[in-house]
Amino acid sequence: MAERTISLKVARYRPEHRPDQYFDEFDIPYREDMVILDALNHIKDELDGSLSYRWSCRMGVCGSCGMMVNYKPRLTCSTFLREFYPKPIVVEPLENFPVVRDLVVDMTSFMQKLQSVKPWIIRHVDPPMEAGEYLQTPAEVEQYKGFSMCINCMLCYAACPVVGRDPDFLGPAVIALAHRYNMDSRDQGEAERQRAIAVDWGIWDCTFIGECSVVCPKDVDPAAAIQREKVAKTTNTMLSMLLPFGGHE
Amino acid sequence: MKEDGGPRYPVLVRTPSRTWWLRAGPYRRFAAREITSMFAALFSALLIAFLFALSLGPHAYGRFLSFLGSTGMLAASSLILAAVLYHMATWFRLTTHIVVIRLGGRTVPRNAILAALVVAWLAVSAAVAYFLIWF
Repeated sequence: MAERTISLKVARYRPEHRPDQYFDEFDIPYREDMVILDALNHIKDELDGSLSYRWSCRMGVCGSCGMMVNYKPRLTCSTFLREFYPKPIVVEPLENFPVVRDLVVDMTSFMQKLQSVKPWIIRHVDPPMEAGEYLQTPAEVEQYKGFSMCINCMLCYAACPVVGRDPDFLGPAVIALAHRYNMDSRDQGEAERQRAIAVDWGIWDCTFIGECSVVCPKDVDPAAAIQREKVAKTTNTMLSMLLPFGGHE
Repeated sequence: MKEDGGPRYPVLVRTPSRTWWLRAGPYRRFAAREITSMFAALFSALLIAFLFALSLGPHAYGRFLSFLGSTGMLAASSLILAAVLYHMATWFRLTTHIVVIRLGGRTVPRNAILAALVVAWLAVSAAVAYFLIWF
């Protein structure tokens, strides 16, 4: 029996050769248990060693191998060829990011946004070490656990048209992470963090399209996090207007 | 990184298309949600015009009522009703993603919140219908 093959159209950007993006088509042997990342590795090892892309863990944990697969943001290590076979598959770099080379995007702005919301536990005064660890009930852990599952794969940024229109938008994953710390009973930094996210390029930029939550491979639900931060900020502002010691600006 | 914060290598910046909202089902549904909000605004404007006509006296009010009863306005009202119902349904669904209600140490499931919203809407509609028909 003839070997079954599948065709991959892969976006290329090699600025030292030509200034624009173009596509290369590769026919590779098809197996039911192959994922897109296996196909890219086959291309790099056997057909064209110059192809560039990021990957690491192969098991949906590291968040490096996010790409556009047939125009949808996916983790290529957990997207099987069989989902598309026998039709050809188009692989492109994540949308809404500048492209450095082939399928590799520039994450600089994402990393800067990530730091800007202070994603760590903030305390007014740290108790001494002898006081022991901070204790939490299972219910308190439940408040933020879902939002702590983010692997920074940036699929949500590629799915968000607002990020495309406004590159300064803090974006889904960053605000979800801010929300994760705001919901943590050990944290006291909500006011500080809300100053960073309750801005025109933060929570108020989101129009609640909701695709960030749909494409998230870890079910983080950033869309819900952003809307809940909008409610929290509005509540705090109203309380600070109405009560002498209520809420915080 | 260079001093100005820009990348020290050439990058390809892609401009999103103006018609992104037509590209995929979820984006089209979002656009439909936003466009139907204009019909909600239109309904509010009609309501204000209704009150204005009422304030002008029985003659103006009667004229406004016959204007509302014209074929064109009946068609427009049907369109507005359909659009507002669609808009309401989308926001009922979205609300279940925003609101977290905890009862007896458990989070109320999304479908239960949605059902409560629908029941509340039906109850208010029934009350309005009751007052319109029997008073």
